[in-house]
Amino acid sequence: MANQRSAPVYRNLLRIRFPVGAVTSIAHRVSGVLMFASLPLLIYLLDISLQDSAGFDRAVEYLQTGWLRAVSVIVAWSLFHHLLSGIRFLLIDVGHGLSLPHARRSAWLVNIAALVMTLAWLWWML
Amino acid sequence: MSRPTHGLRDWLLQRLTAVYLACFLIYLMAHFYNQPHHDYRQWHDWITHPAMTVASAVFILAVLIHGWVGMRDVVLDYVHTLSLRLMVLSLIALLLTGSGLWALQILLLAAA
Repeated sequence: MANQRSAPVYRNLLRIRFPVGAVTSIAHRVSGVLMFASLPLLIYLLDISLQDSAGFDRAVEYLQTGWLRAVSVIVAWSLFHHLLSGIRFLLIDVGHGLSLPHARRSAWLVNIAALVMTLAWLWWML
Repeated sequence: MSRPTHGLRDWLLQRLTAVYLACFLIYLMAHFYNQPHHDYRQWHDWITHPAMTVASAVFILAVLIHGWVGMRDVVLDYVHTLSLRLMVLSLIALLLTGSGLWALQILLLAAA
């Protein structure tokens, strides 16, 4: 009886093997939390940008400062990854790509495409 | 915390809001891809177009629902102490409600 309860618990991150689907899944969570955390900043920028043309210029100026550029890259990655992996989860929900090879391939595709889109954002921003 | 939870309802809400959020975000990205540079006038006129104001208000509401269900799921998975859990959940609810009201106010003031 005791043995039934003792499923292995790995708290050591180095001993956990992460298949690609798990990486996509945890990244979906991380990106969601990051976007939640960025809400006040994004709304603040929206606020000043819509007040008047001086406020708009100020918002654009802010977005060109170093640390806000870094934040915008993180938010852009979060948005792209969350959107793509979200579409993947919705497709899996309705029964598309359920087999392991398909699921693994779409997980890779999502992770890589999100990075490529983030690079495109970075390139567009600079 | 002892009241029944609404797992299936929340599961469905999360997916319905996800579909709306995805459509709106893809529209946003297409817009900025076609027109990367705005001046204040273009930016203001675009946001305050009646269709855009309505779509944005629905977007804000969808973000609130989607963000609440998602953040709550994360907290329930990682925060196990009841008092801490309640505190974190209240903080998230406060932040989401505040953000939503703030964003709606910006939208309505701009459109007025």
